[in-house]
Amino acid sequence: MATADPSGVVMNLPRRDARDKLLGRTRYTVDRMPPRMLHAAVLRSEVASARIIRIDTTRARQMPGVRAIALAEDAPGMHGIGIADHPLFASGVIRFHGEQIAAVAADTYEQAQAAARAIEVELEPLPPVLTMADALAPGAPLVHPDWKSYEILFEGGARGGNVAWEATVIRGDTDTAFARDDVVIVESCFRVGRQNHVSLEARAVIATYEDGRYHIETSTQVPWTVRNMTAKLLGVPASQVHVTVPPVGGAFGQKFDCTLEPYAAILARKSGQPVRLVYSRQEEMLTCLCRENADIKIRSAVTEKGEIVGREAVVLMDCGAYGGEQIFLTTMTAHTLGGNYKLGSIKLATRAIYTNTPPNGAFRACNGVYNTFALERHTDEICEAIGMDPLEFKRRNVLGDGDLGATGQVFEGDVLGSMLDRMERLREKSPSKKHLAGDRLYGRATVVGTWFIFVGPSTATINLNADGSATLITAGVELGQGTMVQALPQIVAHELGIHPDDIIVRNADTDAAGFDLGVGGGRTTVSVGAASVAAAADVRNKILNIASELLQTRPERLVLRNGRVEIAGIEGSGTTIAKVVQRAHQVTGPVVGSGSFTNPGVPAMPGCAAGHFIDAIDIPVFNVHDCEVAVDPETGHVEILSYKVVQDVGRALNPRAIHGQIQGGVTQGLGYALHEEHTIGEDGCIRQDSLETYRVPLALDTVPVEIDLYEGAPSIGPLGAKGAGEVPIMNPPAAVACAVARATGCRVQQTPLTPPRVLAHLLGREPAVELPHIADNWWDNVLTKPKTQ
Amino acid sequence: MPASTGQCLYVATSLSDAVAALADRGPAGAPLAGATWIMRAPIRREERRSSYVGIGGIAELCAVELTDDEIRIGACVTHARLIAALAGAEGCDGLVAAAGGAANPAVRQMATVGGNLCASDFPASDLSPALLCLDASVELRTPGGRERMPVGRLLDVRCTLEPGTLVTGVVIARKSLRTGHARLPLRKAGDYPVAIVSMAAALGSDGLVEDIKVAVGSVEASARRWPQLEEQLLGRPLDPARAHELAKAGAGVFAGRESVEAPGWYRVQVLPTLVRRAAQAALAG
Amino acid sequence: MPTNLVINGEDRISSRGSMTPLIDVLRDEFFLTGAKVACREGICGACTVHLDGRPVVSCLVPLGTVEGRDVRTVESLAVAGEPSPLQLIMEEHDVVQCGMCFPGILMVLTSFFQERPHAERDEIKAALVGNICRCTGYERLVDAAVALARRS
Ligand SMILES: Cc1cc2nc3c(=O)[nH]c(=O)nc-3n(C[C@H](O)[C@H](O)[C@H](O)COP(=O)(O)OP(=O)(O)OC[C@H]3O[C@@H](n4cnc5c(N)ncnc54)[C@H](O)[C@@H]3O)c2cc1C
Repeated sequence: MATADPSGVVMNLPRRDARDKLLGRTRYTVDRMPPRMLHAAVLRSEVASARIIRIDTTRARQMPGVRAIALAEDAPGMHGIGIADHPLFASGVIRFHGEQIAAVAADTYEQAQAAARAIEVELEPLPPVLTMADALAPGAPLVHPDWKSYEILFEGGARGGNVAWEATVIRGDTDTAFARDDVVIVESCFRVGRQNHVSLEARAVIATYEDGRYHIETSTQVPWTVRNMTAKLLGVPASQVHVTVPPVGGAFGQKFDCTLEPYAAILARKSGQPVRLVYSRQEEMLTCLCRENADIKIRSAVTEKGEIVGREAVVLMDCGAYGGEQIFLTTMTAHTLGGNYKLGSIKLATRAIYTNTPPNGAFRACNGVYNTFALERHTDEICEAIGMDPLEFKRRNVLGDGDLGATGQVFEGDVLGSMLDRMERLREKSPSKKHLAGDRLYGRATVVGTWFIFVGPSTATINLNADGSATLITAGVELGQGTMVQALPQIVAHELGIHPDDIIVRNADTDAAGFDLGVGGGRTTVSVGAASVAAAADVRNKILNIASELLQTRPERLVLRNGRVEIAGIEGSGTTIAKVVQRAHQVTGPVVGSGSFTNPGVPAMPGCAAGHFIDAIDIPVFNVHDCEVAVDPETGHVEILSYKVVQDVGRALNPRAIHGQIQGGVTQGLGYALHEEHTIGEDGCIRQDSLETYRVPLALDTVPVEIDLYEGAPSIGPLGAKGAGEVPIMNPPAAVACAVARATGCRVQQTPLTPPRVLAHLLGREPAVELPHIADNWWDNVLTKPKTQ
Repeated sequence: MPASTGQCLYVATSLSDAVAALADRGPAGAPLAGATWIMRAPIRREERRSSYVGIGGIAELCAVELTDDEIRIGACVTHARLIAALAGAEGCDGLVAAAGGAANPAVRQMATVGGNLCASDFPASDLSPALLCLDASVELRTPGGRERMPVGRLLDVRCTLEPGTLVTGVVIARKSLRTGHARLPLRKAGDYPVAIVSMAAALGSDGLVEDIKVAVGSVEASARRWPQLEEQLLGRPLDPARAHELAKAGAGVFAGRESVEAPGWYRVQVLPTLVRRAAQAALAG
Repeated sequence: MPTNLVINGEDRISSRGSMTPLIDVLRDEFFLTGAKVACREGICGACTVHLDGRPVVSCLVPLGTVEGRDVRTVESLAVAGEPSPLQLIMEEHDVVQCGMCFPGILMVLTSFFQERPHAERDEIKAALVGNICRCTGYERLVDAAVALARRS
């Protein structure tokens, strides 16, 4: 078949779900109320660490409206990523303030809450470890004294005590590099807090138990994870769990894990009624799977000319009471902190640390956001030390064609360098907003970032219908990002020569679609997209074979266009696709195609990376951001004057939708840069328990982002596309922090840059971040032992 | 966290009905005006009263009256209504700015003047400092009859008011004043101010300050006047730069409260800037 | 005591307790799920409805105070299924992402434009200070609102 021009796929296809969302008709999980539905409430711990002596539900069971109570014994399994360290309910010990002890289903939510409060729990308090410094101190109490006995789900990470997981990268000889007499050694420390997703739709689920199976309707990014984890926790075969996903009201990574679904499932089975569990905003604030807080130390050996001959870094990620995503995310440092720049030699250690605090999770551009902040601020400190302009330094050092990444993978194409040029043109095009700073301090910074697309398994099935429409079945989910309503129908329509409006997209249903890793890591357009392309190719072949017979033309001479099978070059020739499908019904049966995709695999340098889930990245994504700020020297308020983005998108399938993702992602990043922070009180409880104290950006706090989409960088994605939704959040904290540091002359080591923090800097009263719990000698920070030469 | 439905609300039809209903309920009851504070009690982890008397719909509490001598604001006048009624009225710029900068448009439609003054443990009230510097009084109905007291006194006693006490309105004597209200949220808007300075100045024909009141909100547990600064500003032209310098030297009289959103030192540190901004606003008005 | 109210032009009677937040009555009793519960503290604006023609956050309105009053929800903006000009312009500008915040934003802007039909960008942004949108970064929805203000 003559392949269609790939540019034909590009269009600003409007969203098919916009109308009902605007009319208030869309039914998210929180809007669904099946008949006889019960309401569930969870009893949570109000201490951070304790031994459970006794739980007595006698009184609670007699409370009005109570239909079922779920306790630890109902969920014998443990789950986790890498290590199965997480029970559904605290059993035996409490490990964080807010930990689930029991769940109750009752006729009303108030009754469920009242009954949950009536459960008697006797505890013996234990000393908690609330910070990573405490957790790493000699003799610190262990959050998981039994860590050695846990089931290992992924081999290779070093573990020990409160170190839940350790990933290391060693390439080249940093000792020699640091010992050179022609280098300057620059050392920087950074600390960042937790970021809450604040999806407007809280985590929510409705579970029923019918015909011996659980049906879980949930607001999730990962239907297959929910299916498999629920089964593991409940100790039932995974085939007994069926997951469907209504439209999701925001997720941003928070819903990339199985969290509240199993509670509802147990209660539904016990009560025989549908059970709804929706977390309150307070529960969301106090137990959200946040972007983790982290402590980072970086040391670099740099020549006068700006060559980075050696770099050593330690990144401590607080996983909270259970390992969760952070175990996996230790992998990312190699590709984020270890990204952007050519490095002569490198040692990286990333450790997920257990503390008695609420577990953390995944958040848009996990790990990359703060590591980019740290890396770009460190880069500025290097430039200051060697007296080089930061832009000049970047031009010399950004990864180009054939350069080695941290783990020794070979990068293709001169992408970042030419993106810096594009940013320069964007800056020339729109004049500086410096005049708006008035009497305030003015600063500007251009920063770079490296992210990547998670690939991994996805599958798609396409039924080509006798009316010429096609039904696409995948386990992809529409979170608001648009992939399911824009990119995927565009891709499939392009392959099949029909209009995207004629592609029906099935909502995720684990009984209908095959396995999928989930919607996250910017992977949907790429992985689900690639599987869909493969399925469409399968369908196309079938159509062409039948049409070839029908039209007495060889398949190679046929094209699919405008809903027709045409003879190449002759518009309007041939017949309609619908007719071909109808013909197929008679000769071969209905037309269905399927396709799969997984991890193509890019090699790293053998022996470089240990404890990593991904040694090398299949699809890098680069970013260049530029930001101008004004800082009020009297109050510490930072105002964003302008914001510019050059983003590597491979091929922009729907430019308007990508622009929307960039504006939204940058704004979320500005929130983290300037205001958003969770801190933990002495009782181990998160201090910002509502949207009053946890401040997300409002309309007045953002600016229109000026955007240039960089196309043409290598990508194995369908039609050369890359995921575009995740990466925009990665650079704003870096850009803002560098700009504020330049405006104020202060050494910015911490975000968010709230007005009190900035003013403290200006008054010289902001304490320096020193991180004594990260040792100067890199080897003293790791469980891994040096290979003896 | 939906409200527990155990509590009940009686909607009063007139002031006397409300007074009687409150007397009936004694310590178990309390007035409910715009409800924007009361409805959030569960989030503050506070117990609600078992019984409320709704007063928001009582016409006599919802009026704003302007005469040549005074301005009377009913206790149940909402922020939105206050802005509409006083926009452009002499001496009211600061109060209008206070009402207009608070909260968000929907909350301003609901939240009342009385509720803003009576919400106990609420340091960040915008109207308190604005009314303090206007020397406003509040009128109350108590089980014993009627009472009138300065706003400052109400702020001191609001936690210990006798059950059944109702604020019926606020009275401001009309004077030729220049007023300004400077609030400092941490974002551009939409959060509680971490510090507030409200100012009302009477300037002589020579431009000299004949009388001036400065009130500070949100810095301490309750809004209060800044008498030392007032004294220093008397008898000279109202110069924002000078006011700023004086405030810098004298801000130590405030002990900033610590909270999750801002440290105490910060609230005090920004006061001079807010003094300057309030003075600028007063002069511009 | 049951409460009588008029919701989207229809007489309704609710049997919920008088301190029940209006939002719960609208959603759970009358299945008007357009308005969303997202914070229950008047900050996110997702539950905004019109009460006697003015925007209020229905999470903070006790049912007992709406006796006899007129409540309008996002479901009432479209007339005979035909979206309002504001809804249409939001659709044209491809503004929507997850969509949870829009019911509230539309209610706030609808009443805002009644008073200030030709508002400027900054005023529109200030009017939205009680609405959190976590997906879009606001600017495009403000663009759409500005376009409507220019058109009228
Ligand atoms: C999202 C949000 C943002 C806000 N931002 C601000 C802000 O920036 N600045 C600011 O100042 N405020 C702000 N507020 C607080 C708001 O102004 C107060 O909640 C409001 O003014 C209280 O008024 P109300 O009528 O709603 O009080 P209610 O909730 O009805 O009552 C509050 C208290 O006062 C008592 N009370 C009410 N009326 C009377 C009366 N007449 N006599 C005696 N007692 C009475 C009640 O019993 C109760 O104890 C905000 C509130 C919200 C929800």
